[in-house]
Amino acid sequence: MGNDLYFEDVKIGDAMPELSKGPIMKLQHVLYAGASGDFNPLHTDDDFAKAVGMKDGVISHGMLVMGFVGQAITAWVPRKCLKNFGVRFAGMTKPGNTITVSGTITDKRQENGENLVFCEVVARDEGGDVKITGNFSAALPLKRG
Amino acid sequence: MADSTKVGKTFDPIVWEVERGKIREMAKAIGDPNPIYLDRDAAIRAGYRDTPVPPTFLTVPMMWSSSMPVLINDLKINFMMVLHGEEEYEYYRDIYPGDTITGIPKVASVEEKTSKAGKNMDMITVEILYKNQDNEDVAKARTLLVERK
Repeated sequence: MGNDLYFEDVKIGDAMPELSKGPIMKLQHVLYAGASGDFNPLHTDDDFAKAVGMKDGVISHGMLVMGFVGQAITAWVPRKCLKNFGVRFAGMTKPGNTITVSGTITDKRQENGENLVFCEVVARDEGGDVKITGNFSAALPLKRG
Repeated sequence: MADSTKVGKTFDPIVWEVERGKIREMAKAIGDPNPIYLDRDAAIRAGYRDTPVPPTFLTVPMMWSSSMPVLINDLKINFMMVLHGEEEYEYYRDIYPGDTITGIPKVASVEEKTSKAGKNMDMITVEILYKNQDNEDVAKARTLLVERK
């Protein structure tokens, strides 16, 4: 993989590499419904979505967008180093949106023998509207363990 | 109002056998090309025992078990008015193909809140602690459901 990231490499204020996803197609909702088991028709059936008040039809699974954020994180931080990952769903995502995930390191400290980094993350659409805010922490290796 | 007398109640265990194909399917649905999720050899080269699960994989056992609708009914929450407010995972151990994980859903809290716009909402937090076949804690999922009034 060559994506080794060490505690010494990360500074407070550093930006996580950005990831852009999309534009989202309705087909991806079908794929995600099948993969995740979330078959709420709000995400796959325009008639249903309109009947419950979504005038443009289906909206994306929030967990799909959280999945984009997870992709961005584990493209940078090795999966096995991830300790905690939480998000707040701030806005609805729709087909056609392009989601960009970005993040900033907010803290790093050594604690109980672990080298912890803390990062805020945000997912926005092409217009800058925030869809997800969140954070994660990871325990990174030292270059000279 | 969601039934606050149910705080602390636990529900039927979610038992899930983790399959390599489901991990790949989840990564492909997200569109995540990271080879550790797709290819066992690539995962081993990167220091894993097998293809690990992506960070949001625990939504799979939760959704496929239909655990959430059962809980929503039991708490007398109006399904049509529920939003997924927050989701959080704590990771304790890797989860790999062949593992059988068991999660016990628990109602952690039910709170009534008023939004800035003056609307009443119930905030229901559900926690699921997952253990593996060796009875080791592997992860905890925390879901905040928001019931609009």
